[in-house]
Amino acid sequence: MIELKGVSFAYVKEDVIKDVNLLLGPGVTAIIGPNGSGKTTLLKLAAGIYRPRVGEVLIDGINPWSVPETVKTSIRRNVVYIHEEPIMLRGSVADNVAYGLRIRKLPADEVVIRTEEVLEVLGIKHLAHEKAQTLSAGQKQRVALARALAVRPKNLLLDEPTANLDRCGRETLMELVKDLVRKGVCIAIATHDRLLAFKLTDRVVFVENKTAIFVEGSGGRWLI
Amino acid sequence: MWQELTDIVVRSLLISGMATVLATSWGIPITMILTVKESKFRRALLDVANTLVAIPTVLIGLLLYLLFSRSGPLGFFGILYTPTSIALGEAILITPLIISLSASVLRETKTDIWEMAISIGATERQALVVMVTESLPKLLTAVLLGFNRAIGELGVALILGGNIKGLTRVMTTAIALEVSKGEFELALTLGGILLFVTFLVTVIVRKVGRDL
Repeated sequence: MIELKGVSFAYVKEDVIKDVNLLLGPGVTAIIGPNGSGKTTLLKLAAGIYRPRVGEVLIDGINPWSVPETVKTSIRRNVVYIHEEPIMLRGSVADNVAYGLRIRKLPADEVVIRTEEVLEVLGIKHLAHEKAQTLSAGQKQRVALARALAVRPKNLLLDEPTANLDRCGRETLMELVKDLVRKGVCIAIATHDRLLAFKLTDRVVFVENKTAIFVEGSGGRWLI
Repeated sequence: MWQELTDIVVRSLLISGMATVLATSWGIPITMILTVKESKFRRALLDVANTLVAIPTVLIGLLLYLLFSRSGPLGFFGILYTPTSIALGEAILITPLIISLSASVLRETKTDIWEMAISIGATERQALVVMVTESLPKLLTAVLLGFNRAIGELGVALILGGNIKGLTRVMTTAIALEVSKGEFELALTLGGILLFVTFLVTVIVRKVGRDL
């Protein structure tokens, strides 16, 4: 669970996010808003990538910016943020998926098992030895998702996850999200895809004019 | 004749290579710190580095000459007119170039690789490592351009090395000497060799970079 309390953030001088109070709790939260409204910034603040100028971000009740570096990393490891444009490291798909596991210094055999497991789940096992940077945008999106799932995060933040996916990919993603929610993962999705939001989310956050309006309730009433 | 020519070519490669290693050993870490730590001085320091890229080589040569000459503050080192002084001078000459080029490479990587690494759970040190390893081919290009600048410069080598036969004579100072003697044909041949050697190093480094 991630909570933003009175958070403001500026890249240079002017705030792009101002006094946001938000709870990304169990289930799926959709973050909706026009281009440039601050959806991505909001997710990066929630992931502990950006430091708020004012206010605090609590990841599972702890502010990662007020604790020592080692604790900060362990707090951050409860959250994974996936970029809109998936970022691939040089090397194979399997190397990319295993990256999060290796930096956690898991035993080599467990790294292999978990990597194969998520590649299977996402239907990209046949790409395991391909160079990740040569894949299509949709395939990269799946690899990024696999890399995130491999580390079994408690909180998953997805930035426009369907942007590069075909219909089959979208359906796989939806099933995955439902499965993760059943397992207790808190998910936030920044999206323009209202159908995805309608089908999956329990609550929605509208981001506009540098702030966020929080609406509780499933069934997509807020989409009408 | 050929023996002397080979010596000059090898000496040039060694001195410029040493200068490149030195400049890389302090230039890249400085750039990494400037990139990762969002200091307000970052932009100003990069502006200084960009300006110093255009500094005349003779000016650096002169400043170091004043430092290393017997009556200068660092004269006790006794390195004036040695290959070491040329390497040091060339290292200082190419440092701004390496900083300037690698800064743009690392800046680009910071916004994607760094964030990706942090978001998947890397410590800042792990993120820094992956940021550098992912940038290696491009960083290598920055270093290579530094080497090319070092091997092709004249002012530092002439002022700090003194163009001493068998000790500090490198390709550019040899060319200058032949021109002053009116031996244009030999000077042009040396120029051709300089270009060919630089081309060869560029190709080798590019191939190495591709395999990294």
